[in-house]
Amino acid sequence: MSDFTAVLDSLTRQRGVRGSLVVSAEDGIPVDSNLQFGQDGNRVAALAASLYRKARKSAQAAGLGGTGFMQLEAETGRLCVIGGDEIILVVVAERTANVGLIRVELLRAAESLA
Amino acid sequence: MIKATVEPWIEEPLRTFVTDAGVSLALLLHPNGQVLAQYGFSRAIDIMSACALAAAIHVSANELGRQLEGKPFSGMHHAGKERQVFLAEAQTKRGPYIFLTVFDEASSLGLVRMYFDEFRVNLAKASPPPPDAPEPMLSENFERELNRNLAALFGRA
Repeated sequence: MSDFTAVLDSLTRQRGVRGSLVVSAEDGIPVDSNLQFGQDGNRVAALAASLYRKARKSAQAAGLGGTGFMQLEAETGRLCVIGGDEIILVVVAERTANVGLIRVELLRAAESLA
Repeated sequence: MIKATVEPWIEEPLRTFVTDAGVSLALLLHPNGQVLAQYGFSRAIDIMSACALAAAIHVSANELGRQLEGKPFSGMHHAGKERQVFLAEAQTKRGPYIFLTVFDEASSLGLVRMYFDEFRVNLAKASPPPPDAPEPMLSENFERELNRNLAALFGRA
């Protein structure tokens, strides 16, 4: 049990959430995760962190300032990411999941880790 | 033009890795230090140094792993201020090779490890069977082989 277990548990308890990860922002390596069987945490962490870094840079390049919340819509689900310079939080959710609730929970989790 | 590989079967797996992982340098070598493929180097002398160091680090790390854990370490990562180094072994039908790559903030350790796993699989699939009677690697042949490989990489073959 790590310092992040409670945060991950509260994220994964949300309806429609399939898994959640705490990821090292710079390395893209999972620090802790709560995933369902069949999900490859290393791959999700590496790619989500890369995507988030690029999204932040894109927003900065466009003069839009910092990036708070990032959401990727896929065919059968969503990837929600929030984070800072050191750590990012990733949620893998079903398409029917309530993104508003997930966003609130992610913001709360990010605040508790800050 | 700099040719990337000494043997053509390495080209596709290496190109895919470099493109996907976004690394700045990559090197595939035989454990004895002979270069087989490169990406991003512009001078033969740099390749020679990198190969010699990578082979030495690989053999030292293997021995250290054996002494500490009873088995060789599977990879090594060093994070510098701006650039990072990743070194690991890739098994092929022709035996083990050493892979060294350098990346900066355009990539990450997670991406490099992920795409290296794919590279390792692709390389093993692409590798031809070993020759029936492989030429023994003798120290007197080493420099000749090294120069031949470097000449092939830098278009002087």
